[in-house]
Amino acid sequence: MSADIALQLLFSGLSVGSVYALVALALVIPFKASGVLNFGQGEMVTLGAYIALALSLTTPLPYYAIVPLTLALAALVGVAFERLFIRPLVRAPEFTIVIGTFALGLMVKFAIRLYWQDNVYSLSVPFSTNPWIFGDVRINPVFVSIIACAVALVAALAFFFQRTRAGKAMRAVSQNQEAARLMGISVERVFSSTWALGTAIAALAGILFAPVTGIHPEIGNLILKAFVAAVIGGFDSLPGAVVGGLLLGLIETFSGAIVGSTFKNVIAFAVLILVLLVRPYGIFGSAGARRV
Amino acid sequence: MPADRARWFWWPAIAAVLLLTPPLLGTYQLYLVNIALVNIVLAIGLNLLTGNAGQISLCNSSFMAIGAYACTLLSTKLGLSFWLALPVGGIVAMSFGCVLALPAMRLSGFYLALATLGFLEITQTMIEEFPGITGGIRGMIASRPTLFGWKLGSDLALYYAFMPIVACLVLVARNLIRSPVGRAFDAIRNSVPAAQSLGISPVRTKLIAFAIAALYAGLAGGLGAAVVGFIDPVEYGTGASLRHVTFIVVGGIGSISGSLVGAIVLTVLPELLRGLKEYSDFVYAALLLAFLLLLPKGLVGLGPMAARLWSREGRVSGPPLEARGGPAP
Amino acid sequence: MTFFVLDAVSVTFGGVIAVRDVSLSLERGEIRGLIGPNGAGKTSLINAVTGMVPISGGRIALEEREIGRLAPHQIAALGIGRTFQHVEIFADQTVLTNVLTGLHRHLSHGLWSSALMLPSARRGEAAARREAEGLLEAFDLGSYGDAVAGDLPYGILKRLDLARALAARPKLLLLDEPTSGMSEVEAAATIATARGLARDRDITLLVIEHNMRVIMALADRLTVLHHGEKIAEGTPAEVQADPLVIDAYLGDHADA
Repeated sequence: MSADIALQLLFSGLSVGSVYALVALALVIPFKASGVLNFGQGEMVTLGAYIALALSLTTPLPYYAIVPLTLALAALVGVAFERLFIRPLVRAPEFTIVIGTFALGLMVKFAIRLYWQDNVYSLSVPFSTNPWIFGDVRINPVFVSIIACAVALVAALAFFFQRTRAGKAMRAVSQNQEAARLMGISVERVFSSTWALGTAIAALAGILFAPVTGIHPEIGNLILKAFVAAVIGGFDSLPGAVVGGLLLGLIETFSGAIVGSTFKNVIAFAVLILVLLVRPYGIFGSAGARRV
Repeated sequence: MPADRARWFWWPAIAAVLLLTPPLLGTYQLYLVNIALVNIVLAIGLNLLTGNAGQISLCNSSFMAIGAYACTLLSTKLGLSFWLALPVGGIVAMSFGCVLALPAMRLSGFYLALATLGFLEITQTMIEEFPGITGGIRGMIASRPTLFGWKLGSDLALYYAFMPIVACLVLVARNLIRSPVGRAFDAIRNSVPAAQSLGISPVRTKLIAFAIAALYAGLAGGLGAAVVGFIDPVEYGTGASLRHVTFIVVGGIGSISGSLVGAIVLTVLPELLRGLKEYSDFVYAALLLAFLLLLPKGLVGLGPMAARLWSREGRVSGPPLEARGGPAP
Repeated sequence: MTFFVLDAVSVTFGGVIAVRDVSLSLERGEIRGLIGPNGAGKTSLINAVTGMVPISGGRIALEEREIGRLAPHQIAALGIGRTFQHVEIFADQTVLTNVLTGLHRHLSHGLWSSALMLPSARRGEAAARREAEGLLEAFDLGSYGDAVAGDLPYGILKRLDLARALAARPKLLLLDEPTSGMSEVEAAATIATARGLARDRDITLLVIEHNMRVIMALADRLTVLHHGEKIAEGTPAEVQADPLVIDAYLGDHADA
């Protein structure tokens, strides 16, 4: 494998890995706070892409305005879902949570499909998609923008969790709900805000990924890869989710170049089962990580 | 005694209905009845695994696919008798079930759900990656079986051939639930420490549960392929697995009657919604969610619930034990 | 041979030493009380014996056979049974089914004969049912046979736990606070039944109890744990008079 191909694969691997990392964060953040793993989070990714699409088709707003507006709307949806469906599931058996969130996601997907059908739409991005050429290396600017956005988001999240009151409240609830409650933190409000945050991040992933795959109801299937990423990194670790996502993106892209694009899926899921067998709490997780 | 008298009435009555009513039905209705038979087998197997043994499995459709492909390949392509290919297909599916049981033994809850999802994705990819064997995404044609040289071309003939098989599978499952194996399933779902203290091996019990569920799903696959006449790989994805789960959630988790009710109701329901074809997917998912949140005991739970509301002496006196962590789904 | 031996057993949880170098031996048919203030390590010791937690040192042997490394269900299969401090009944099963499950490893009809409901399986189930019903009667649970266990009050569930554990026909039965939550009358009746059955069936008992009246009357000998270590052992009279024991209890909390 020559250096320039390797470099291209590196970029595409990192960029797809960034999307996985974002969706993994969208899974892990609400999970850490409420103990509910949203098996329908993939459809929040799809929803984000479609909200952006709807905004671009119905309003004259430019891309840079559509994105934050979409995130805000997605956050609202997140809060609504949390209040209506997730709150009752917090104390439910895991089977109910898995199937319930799955069903909820499917309802979203089918609702989207009812209106938009299976057509593939595209969202126009404000920058040229012509590849940047460095010697023999061609780099897709879309990939670069995804990586840049992901980096910016992770940095923003780090700041949020370390420095802001809301972020620290979330961390407190993730560690010990009872203690957080005793300290005067409204655990219910933290549940709502983590779900809002998770849904917004998922929506961002959807927007970022849209130029790569087009907008169609099956975008959400990448949730499966996000699960793999979260398992690799460790379900109770945010840095783990990011590292897991990037690692998976790289593993997938490089193995895809060797064994072909469908088989790389088998590799991804074989990695999942392997990690679950050997070290279910992932690279960064700890053995005691269980639901509160 | 009333119980014995009831038994002498109900069993012959059910047998009469099963044997005598089908010729009165139209072709499409018979087709539905056959589909219901397949769904019953699926529901029963999954209910043993998830409802009784408490193991979350999102890949039931994969075992169905494996059984369908194996049975159809052996009978349609290799000319083996369908009646031999069917159990062989079931056994092939069962061996994959045992393979899945290996990681499943050490996992539970969310992690188990994820492992089964991974297994489903791997199976889907394998099906598409080997079109030479499986026909890839274009699918595979399954021909109708022949019995003693006579081709079972009509849905009615197929019904009379398949119904006894399904009836046996239902009875076997019913026997298992009331046996030590069935009690072991319920035991590990309720309390692994207590089960262990009685000498029950959670690992062995899980293995048996996964094997039986995979066997049933594999047999359902072979039966289903013959009924539909075609194997379409798209029909064996996550949506299908979730549909199987819907059978048992709507019908009733952990009981044979629950599986029967759920499978039959949800076979008939899409037909009632036929005018709203695009909405049926949505309605299905909404129904699943509604039952999970509002009627967790399923339709068969309505009976005892009504009985409790009606009867005066509903509860034993004394404060009930506060269930820790909630009872089983 | 000594029936049951704990030899310098230690149990550690991530840095915390729950049980430190505890040695204990039981003669066949003995009734031994395991007492000590809260947090003394009694339940950890029981969990270690039954294989639910690993031991970090020492050895455990039943009838000369090492069991320290076995899986919990294997230890149970060798004849060690237990009840649980927080019950652990099969909540959505009936009371009768709970006890039937207790008979699990003694039933000879396996997967195939059950699936096909062969006559041997039918006979096996009928016999099992009779034995289970007999145990329910012994613990005065006969009228609850078809009740769903999870609906029942705590006191009844403690008796059910005991009946179920006895159904497994153990050689050594570990009871973890079998009378907690019971009235004095209930406690006395339950313990009398348990002692009677134990004597009849030659079962050795190791009983964790906080109710001093119960354990002093029931046990042949007592072993006292405090902060994970054995501080005294002897007949009830000897232990009651031991200054170390008195100190441990008065220092932490006093019991009736």
